[in-house]
Amino acid sequence: MSSSQDVFAAVHQHILEGNSEQAVSSTREGLSAGLAPMTLVYEAMIPALQEVGRRFEAGDYFLPEMLVAAAAMQASMEVVRPLLAESEAEPIGIFVMGTVAGDIHDIGKNLCNVMLESGGFRVIDLGINVPADAFVEAIREHRPDAVGMSAFVTTTMPEVDRTIQAIEAAGLRNEVKIMVGGAPLDQEYADQVGADGYAPDANSTVRVTKQLLGLE
Amino acid sequence: MTPKERVLATINHQEPDRVPIVLGVSNATGIKMKPYRALKQLIGVNAEDRYLYDWPELGTAAPDEETLTRLGVDVRGVLDLEPDWVLEKNRSRPPHSDYVDSWGSGAKEVTPGEWFPMVTPLAAATTTEEIERYDWPDMDDPTRVAHVAEQAAALAAENEYAILATPWLLFPLERAFAMQGMDTFLMNLAMYPDFAEALLWKIEELCKTLMGHFLAALGENVDIIKVGDDLGTQESLLMSPQMYRQILKPVHADFLRFIKGRTGAKVLFHTDGDVFPLVDDLIEIGVDILNPIQTSAGKMANLEELKGRYGQDLIFCGGIDTSRVLPHGSPEDVRREVKRVIETLGVGGGLMIGAVHTVMNDVPAENVLAMVEAVEEFGHYPLGEAT
Repeated sequence: MSSSQDVFAAVHQHILEGNSEQAVSSTREGLSAGLAPMTLVYEAMIPALQEVGRRFEAGDYFLPEMLVAAAAMQASMEVVRPLLAESEAEPIGIFVMGTVAGDIHDIGKNLCNVMLESGGFRVIDLGINVPADAFVEAIREHRPDAVGMSAFVTTTMPEVDRTIQAIEAAGLRNEVKIMVGGAPLDQEYADQVGADGYAPDANSTVRVTKQLLGLE
Repeated sequence: MTPKERVLATINHQEPDRVPIVLGVSNATGIKMKPYRALKQLIGVNAEDRYLYDWPELGTAAPDEETLTRLGVDVRGVLDLEPDWVLEKNRSRPPHSDYVDSWGSGAKEVTPGEWFPMVTPLAAATTTEEIERYDWPDMDDPTRVAHVAEQAAALAAENEYAILATPWLLFPLERAFAMQGMDTFLMNLAMYPDFAEALLWKIEELCKTLMGHFLAALGENVDIIKVGDDLGTQESLLMSPQMYRQILKPVHADFLRFIKGRTGAKVLFHTDGDVFPLVDDLIEIGVDILNPIQTSAGKMANLEELKGRYGQDLIFCGGIDTSRVLPHGSPEDVRREVKRVIETLGVGGGLMIGAVHTVMNDVPAENVLAMVEAVEEFGHYPLGEAT
């Protein structure tokens, strides 16, 4: 039986290296050794993903390493998520996420989801090619604190604008903070379409969202 | 100078009479059907709509000769085709159903008229056995290049334009994305590098077979061969320089060696994004012309440094921003951007102007016109003298 520190180190390392299977088995090992699911998340998984983000920003990690680490993180989260629901862990916020209508790119969006989850948010992912109405419906249904929309090509950028307008027209604009992102977008465009925040990558999505919600 | 002489001078590192224009002759230098129609209307050309590669789902126009002439385009394209049976199969399939090419990869119609590459036949593969078992396309099918010799010979006989030849997507990495999905293949590069490498080499072997037939059909009648692979993202590289050098660079090097062993044409390498850290590698493996110089991406914005460090070795092709300037700028913004690009990358020659990416549906025709008019205004050598 390994000590809790060994388990944390193993989960941390497997996520960093993107070994999903081993990350899962180390997570299970920790749980069966009696570690609290929350502790595993906070002592091993989140620090691992923060390190992944740091390495990405430093130019040590690129998309392949980042994607496999995110997948390993997700796999480990699958193991602990059912247990977290039983415990008292409340999410710090609800985040509705989607790629706008006409756009099918989701690599960046999915990385944001993992980062947001590990940052304590409950993420409701509407997927790709999400019409403006579906964003509106999801806001009504889930009453999120924040909504994120992603557009990857210049031709689908106008959908970001359109979706924000639909949220306004539905009278929901003041209910949520709106985050936008994707390759062709920038702060200037975010300001122009009346978004609350813009993030160029997954790491900063969490940071900016927390700032907008007054969580840090 | 004739357009051809202008291009030949440029790609041979001599100063031409004016900066050549490359537009509409291949997909990534191309123009989508909607802006093409608007452009024809704007300049009063009455010509039928045709698609590059006879491929409507790609959505890129094969511009007519009069439009190309009016725009001052200095090159003409020669392309391959999918085999007859694939073209016929796709022509006769139910409307809106998936488009599938000879590789088995293809596109789905996400919204009417918008097709995205989402048919990925090897999505689940992670072993070399699965690569061996796959039903790979027949690159010896003669219908792929049956038209090439005649078309290229006619252009050569005309002797007016430089010939830029582009077989469709003989790009190993991007073909791997098409076969597996981009995120899946990127993850396999990290998780199963032996598999990823084997897939790239398998694809390259097929690329070489088709490229061999294509080059044989072209014979002497080609000035520029276009190949590539998108290696950059908006802010950095798609993969680490180490991973590129270890896995993909040898594949590119072998492919370029193959091409250069069979033609004297210059090799134009298309690679999107911020690829600044790999430019030395690309020069080393034999790239002559770098395209598209995505000025909106990271260090590629630094045109002075690009020209200063690599201008001796490389010709630059592209440079006019398609993320903001062409779609959202005014014609005056476009004019200023063309001037800026010419005054940096164009010093002493070494530049061919074009849009960074395909001119998409959100680009006003006025801006396309403003781009080529600005080349006429600012692109004559010696630079800086009004024309």
